[in-house]
Amino acid sequence: MSAQPDLEFIKYLKDAGGDDLKKCYQCATCSVVCQLSTDTKPFPRKEMIWAQWGQKDKLVADPDIFLCHDCGDCTVYCPRGAKPSNVLGAIRAYAYTFYGWPSGLAKLASNSKGLPMLVAIPSVIIFVLWLISGGLAIPSAAEFADYGYQRFFGHWDFYWLSKNVFFIDVIMLAAAGLAVVASYNGVSKMWKGMAENAGLKNAFRPSAGSFIKEFLWPAVQEIVKHTRVRKCNENNDRVKGHLPLMLAFIGLFIVTAWSALANDVLALVPALHFLHGPMSFWNPVKILANVSAVAMIIGIGILWINRSKKEAEKGLTPTFYDWFLIWEIMVVGVSGLLAEIARWAGLAGPGYVIYYIHLVSVMMLFMYMPYTKFAHLVYRTFAIAFEKYSVSSFGKNEV
Amino acid sequence: MDKKYCAYICTGCGIGEALDIEGLTKVVTSEMSMDCKDFFGLCTADGRAFIEKDINENGVNTVVVCACSPRVMSDEFNFGEDKITVRANLREQVIWSAGVAEEGKEEAHQEWLNETASDYVRMACTRAKKTELPDPYQLETLNKEILVMGGGIAGMTAALEASKAGSKVTIIEKADKLGGKALGWAKQFPTKMPYTDLEPNSIGTMVAAVEADANITVKTSTEVARIGGAPGNFGVTLKAAGSQSEWDAPAKVGVDEQDLISKGQMEDPNVGLKPYAEENPEAQKFGAVVLATGWVPADVSGFTHLGYGVNDKVVTNAQFEKMAKDGQLAGLKSVAFVMSPGGEDNDQDFPYCNSVTSMVALKQAKYVRESNADAKAYILYQHMRTPGHMEYFYKGIQQDDGIFLTKAAVTGVVASGNGCTVTATNTLLGEDLNLDVDLVVLAAGMEPMTKHESSINLAYRQGPAFLDLDLFDGYADSHFICFPYETRRTGIYTCGGVRKAMNMEETIDDASGAALKAIQCIESVDRGVSVHPRSGDKTYPDFFMQRCTQCKRCTEECPFGAIDDDAKGTPLPNPTRCRRCGTCMGACPERIIGFKDYNIDLIGSMLKSIEVPEDDEDKLRIIIFACENDAYPALDMAGMRRNKLNHMVRIVPVRCLGSVNMSWVRDLLSAGMDGAMLLGCKYGDDYQCHFVKGSEIASKRMENIGDSLSTLGLEPERVRSEQVAITEYDKIPKLINDFVDEIVELGPNPFKGF
Repeated sequence: MSAQPDLEFIKYLKDAGGDDLKKCYQCATCSVVCQLSTDTKPFPRKEMIWAQWGQKDKLVADPDIFLCHDCGDCTVYCPRGAKPSNVLGAIRAYAYTFYGWPSGLAKLASNSKGLPMLVAIPSVIIFVLWLISGGLAIPSAAEFADYGYQRFFGHWDFYWLSKNVFFIDVIMLAAAGLAVVASYNGVSKMWKGMAENAGLKNAFRPSAGSFIKEFLWPAVQEIVKHTRVRKCNENNDRVKGHLPLMLAFIGLFIVTAWSALANDVLALVPALHFLHGPMSFWNPVKILANVSAVAMIIGIGILWINRSKKEAEKGLTPTFYDWFLIWEIMVVGVSGLLAEIARWAGLAGPGYVIYYIHLVSVMMLFMYMPYTKFAHLVYRTFAIAFEKYSVSSFGKNEV
Repeated sequence: MDKKYCAYICTGCGIGEALDIEGLTKVVTSEMSMDCKDFFGLCTADGRAFIEKDINENGVNTVVVCACSPRVMSDEFNFGEDKITVRANLREQVIWSAGVAEEGKEEAHQEWLNETASDYVRMACTRAKKTELPDPYQLETLNKEILVMGGGIAGMTAALEASKAGSKVTIIEKADKLGGKALGWAKQFPTKMPYTDLEPNSIGTMVAAVEADANITVKTSTEVARIGGAPGNFGVTLKAAGSQSEWDAPAKVGVDEQDLISKGQMEDPNVGLKPYAEENPEAQKFGAVVLATGWVPADVSGFTHLGYGVNDKVVTNAQFEKMAKDGQLAGLKSVAFVMSPGGEDNDQDFPYCNSVTSMVALKQAKYVRESNADAKAYILYQHMRTPGHMEYFYKGIQQDDGIFLTKAAVTGVVASGNGCTVTATNTLLGEDLNLDVDLVVLAAGMEPMTKHESSINLAYRQGPAFLDLDLFDGYADSHFICFPYETRRTGIYTCGGVRKAMNMEETIDDASGAALKAIQCIESVDRGVSVHPRSGDKTYPDFFMQRCTQCKRCTEECPFGAIDDDAKGTPLPNPTRCRRCGTCMGACPERIIGFKDYNIDLIGSMLKSIEVPEDDEDKLRIIIFACENDAYPALDMAGMRRNKLNHMVRIVPVRCLGSVNMSWVRDLLSAGMDGAMLLGCKYGDDYQCHFVKGSEIASKRMENIGDSLSTLGLEPERVRSEQVAITEYDKIPKLINDFVDEIVELGPNPFKGF
């Protein structure tokens, strides 16, 4: 290899939590304790020297970077205090920005300087649309009691698509769509880089179906079961926070999908019109929604406490990368729950303001997913799939 | 001195139970005609009082203590300088080495044990009779000033430290000013906490301190022409640096060379030079010498794959330091520091580098970074050596974003564009490397000046340079394990780069040590005692010159060049150069060399005092001459671990195997004893002999004696020379017992009874 160290990259890693990376003197204690390390891949010893040498191209296409679940054992055992797990986190943060599309937005989401803009973009978009929709008014108590937030963006008489749903879809589908396109872009780039580094020839590709069945679905199963995180020693506490949080997201996904289907499609059928409107508290879907919301807040709360504790006691460096996502999820959860409480309490004014905040935070969650820590959702999933793929007959290309 | 003897047998430590004390007492009183007393626990206060009472009331002045090994309880049995004390080792080497009796042989075992003890008591009593009190050798005039050769960090530190201790010092320096190599350094390694940052070169401060010191005389642009004399009285002739002088030290001309020269078959290398033995009346007198002449950068052009000397973009660390000093680094964007010549199978560093080149590479990488914010410095090492506090320095340098370190085997350097491409394999990055850099710096080591010139310029019979065993790549020989500053020339101590490749911090420590050794040497000379390794020994070799045949064996074999020739060719001993090993005594065929408490007659008489039973195959007598430095303590340790020694063995301690005169071996065989073994220190590549050459010389002598034995009709297998380390106490009993078995196989000495 022709080494061209990228000094800017080293500086980035140091600023993003990997400030001790130059302390590594390659003793490989980390590789001895790491579950991921193999005889031929001394992880993360090799990644540490790549980072010291500013080898960013190697690192962003290194599956191990994403397979690492930040168990922290390497940091605990490191005799020089180089904190490899922090460095790996910084590399992941860099990778999400590196793969991010459009790159301007990705860069914006990579550090705290961009925070005002990150908040401002969805705030303005939603506020402007709210203004355009003509719904920008506090409803009467009776109207609020009947419709809740279903006329946030106002109301029209077009039967097949309500005005509210139209605006919400415009906002959220656009944000989610951007995230999907960006993720697809990023994951394809990553996959290509990894395949190249691993020397895979890709002479035969699996069909989309068999790819999902053989590689992606097993990866998702592992993730849901938290198989790998449970192997962590030092950082095992995270399962207590991460598992409810992840299940909450799955629950809320089901609730949202069902609501969209029931409210906006099925309820159009006159016979099923009863599906429309705010659900009763005891509706099983509503129960799932509420349980998920609470699980979300508890889960993220546990992660919040864990991280604060580690920062206070173990010298973990606080980073924008970690805290942005914690705050974001916390705001989504709390604003959602408060909006619901406001509805029960019949407090239309505060309710509408909180709901606005909730919409902004949800849009942020969607839109910035591929560039922030939330991106591990896709990159780690595909890295696990790649790991399986690379040792499969497709990857090894045994023909 | 009128001797009044008394022998004391200690009955403590199990001696009283194991041995027939009455029998032993009878041996002393009847055979040795001495008074004899026994006491339980001679080493106790009561025991000591028991002996002191005799000394004070009965005038006993020669005490024979038959108890434990002479290596223990030496303070307890020290009755003052005017008393002679001799020890018989009944504990470690008799009762503790006796083993357990074989079944059915209990009686014989007991008999053998008492015979062994009796022999040790006989030998001790004989020794007491033959030992005389030594008169220390005193120089007529003692010169206490110290000469320091070399005005670099090592030399200046040695001078300052000696001055602080109250000595007068003269520093001579070849260059026109003090400072040495350090004058060329752009910056220096950290010297204080937190040891992370380079410091401005502080050599100026040290130079100023030396110049301000009233005890120190500085002579720049000066060299040593020759050093004659001996510790306490070195006569040093100085000259202007680079000049020739009739007083330049002459090359060695041995007996054989002298023969050739007289026959006209060889040119005299010393034409125009004063003979070595001639004393320069103008010479300045010194007591001891510290040699701090430093080092030169090693030549690295031999590693052709690195292109040094061919490619002008490849420089040495010494050249790079000069570039940094001259401010020529500004244009450099990337520099590779190659710390090992590499090649795929070679993980050695460049020769003569020790740990210094590691730290120099770190320092110079920092120069690159400081001269240019975007510059990159690559350090390709096989070994990163940063001892002591320098680990902090390494950690500090590591923190620099633009310094890249990896272990790597450098395979080549080729010119490319305006710079070079360095190729390396087996890197920590997991892949082979191609580095395009502006400049490559090779980590040349520090070759000691002694590799290139005789440095010390002695006017000694054995030549102007240090004797070289060819074991240490041109570094002055010393007993590295035990006496690192010492050279093979007493009173001359090396320090700094001439002794070892070392950094400034180490050099300062080293030079302080050498200064103290020089002072210690002068003080020992003042008291008329040996410096090292037999520190404090008041004896020195006496020569009975009337019988000398001028064979020159003593002058040739002395490991320390202590013996010159006088004008007539007779040996001229220099007692203050002497280390009292006795190698001369062992060498002398006329047996005219000896010490007051250790000589041919003394050991010979001890051997004669051993009882040699006739016609009893169970009572052969085999003598082990054991070196006091390693073999004898190892035998004691074997005893402490209750390893059994064959009962036919008698151990005689000697100062060094080099002191074993072959007449002893011949005489003991003539007296009917059955075999002899010389047990000394290891020699060869990792020699441990305290006197460097003793055991090696002894084993050569033993080969020769083997030949003469066979002409007498004796089997040469009856004599043997063996080497052991002090730690090999577990192997020694087997070594000895096997030898005894072989002698038993050969049968008794046919001369027995003649």
